[in-house]
Amino acid sequence: MREALDDLLQVAGLSSRTYAGAAAFLDDHAPGRFDLLITDLRMPQMDGVELLRRLAATDPGLPAIVVTSDSPSCGQAIEAGALACLGKPVDDDALLLLIDVVLGRERRERPEH
Amino acid sequence: MTGGAPSTTAPVPPPGVGPESAACWEVDLSDVLPLVEAVATGGGWPDWEAALLHGARIVDVNARGLELVGAPVGQQAMIGQPVANFCPPESWAILAELIVAVAADRPAHALRTSGIHSFMFRNAILSVWGVPEDGLPDRLWVAVDGDMADDRSFWAVRASEQRYRRLLHHLPGALLQVDARAVGAIFYELRSQGVTDLAAHLQGREELVVTARKLVRVTAANHGAAQLFGAADAETLVGPIDYVFAASPDTARRVMIAHFERRRSHGELMKVRTFDGRLIDVQLTVTFPTPPERLDVSLLSFEDVTERLRTEVQLRQLQADYSRAARIATLGELASSIAHEVNQPLSAIAMNAETSLRWLSRDEPNLAKVDALNRRIADSARHASEIVQRIRNMAAKHAPERVPLALNAVVEEALLFVGHDLEARAITLSAAMAAALPDVPGDRVQLQQVIVNLLLNSVQALAQHGDGGGRLIELRTEAEAGGGVRFVIRDNGPGIAAEDLDRVFDGFFTTKADGMGIGLAVCQSIIAAHGGTIVAANHPDGGALFRFSLPGRPAAA
Repeated sequence: MREALDDLLQVAGLSSRTYAGAAAFLDDHAPGRFDLLITDLRMPQMDGVELLRRLAATDPGLPAIVVTSDSPSCGQAIEAGALACLGKPVDDDALLLLIDVVLGRERRERPEH
Repeated sequence: MTGGAPSTTAPVPPPGVGPESAACWEVDLSDVLPLVEAVATGGGWPDWEAALLHGARIVDVNARGLELVGAPVGQQAMIGQPVANFCPPESWAILAELIVAVAADRPAHALRTSGIHSFMFRNAILSVWGVPEDGLPDRLWVAVDGDMADDRSFWAVRASEQRYRRLLHHLPGALLQVDARAVGAIFYELRSQGVTDLAAHLQGREELVVTARKLVRVTAANHGAAQLFGAADAETLVGPIDYVFAASPDTARRVMIAHFERRRSHGELMKVRTFDGRLIDVQLTVTFPTPPERLDVSLLSFEDVTERLRTEVQLRQLQADYSRAARIATLGELASSIAHEVNQPLSAIAMNAETSLRWLSRDEPNLAKVDALNRRIADSARHASEIVQRIRNMAAKHAPERVPLALNAVVEEALLFVGHDLEARAITLSAAMAAALPDVPGDRVQLQQVIVNLLLNSVQALAQHGDGGGRLIELRTEAEAGGGVRFVIRDNGPGIAAEDLDRVFDGFFTTKADGMGIGLAVCQSIIAAHGGTIVAANHPDGGALFRFSLPGRPAAA
């Protein structure tokens, strides 16, 4: 799933990095390093809500979008500071549109299909 | 089974043997001369007397001799028969020793005598003699003589036999009294040919069993036997034993082998075709006589177990239905986990497909990317299909089976079912699987069910217990002595209340508000059906501990 998202971002002309878990991301992250975080909620060791809470304390400027199969938990994610929460399977158009809005990018030409 | 012609040179009865009063037999030793030789020179084996008297054949008998044995047979029926058939077993040793002594006394073969007990005579004397100067080295004469006992002794014997018959008739259960002496003669011949392993000897010689089934006779039957065999009366059952084994010919072979090996008894389950055409399941027990009992009395008892076997089949079916119902209940508990798990590969497929289309719709399509993405789509689809198959196996109706299983593989597959529950509740799992465990016979789906239930039990115990701070489940597999295996699971939850320890495996026992309480009960019934044991305990360092053991393959029967 992580790789699929990475590829989607790539074809949309965005560059991204993937991490195997919340801890690995936090180890590597410093404020200002990334423009956007996309995370799941159910993850081993540290879950997405915990990650969002920590970021709210250490890097409140980093916008976060949650993608999850566990849509009932979206409320918690938003409370913890997520900008948006999308259920899986993710509507790729909606996700890319959301990313453009968050990053303040010009809307790119998207192929019709 | 040869019997020579009576010799024409019968010697004059020696002094002390009255030609009119004595019962007298002429005996042919030609088949047992090697045995006589062996015993005379200190050889032989523990039961040699029986062998000798089964091999020594009657070639002639006088009128008194016929009377003495009281056999309802004529002279012709006695001739050619083994001496053993007409000599009371308590006198075998005396007669056999006299025969060896006289036969080995070359060249005189002089008269030897010994006192014996007899119904017919008081102070009975047994005499054995041969022809001097080795005139006929393979012939001996045997005589019994004494004072005629009064008639009362005959009556006493008859009365006791009548009591015995009445007892047999009124004994509960189905009983057949059988005269198997005819196979004694066959056995003697086989042994003298050097046969020691009858099972091996019968390979390809099934006709021997067929012959035995015709020679061995049912001599009495009781009321219970008539009922079991669906016969009009007990008399119908008297005759060759053939009909008993009509539906289970292999049973006849095994009974014969047990007899040959001088076992005291033999028991097995067999099928019987009744006289009124039914096929019933029967537990057979054969009791063979051993000297000094009457050798003409083998007893066969039969117990109709048709109903019991049918009930057992129903019970097994019930257990299978019960464990399936429990499996479906478990799948219900896992529903959100399962939905989450299936959704993962499906989401990846959707996203990879969308991405592929984007690459394709570029002015210069990136076919290398599309190729890689499509491979991933195929992998995800296979993964999703495996998950569905796993769940379908759990839910499917299935006849319990016993196949060799690797416990570790069963554990690993069970872990797939609860992986997401562990993840969602931030539970750390540590598993220590023993290398090189022996395979054990079992039902994969049912054992997986046990492990999933135990895992869920721990997951739920931990979920009730505080937050994520160090929730832990430990698994262990180990080898046990005797080829068995053991599975141990332990959590660091609240443990089991002391007063509940004895009840955790009871049906409908639960401490959970929404639980049905069949998970652990079904674990126990599955493990018991596998011949294993399961125990619940609390770990000294806190938390519940469950342990089950499964026996290894039973030794080849």
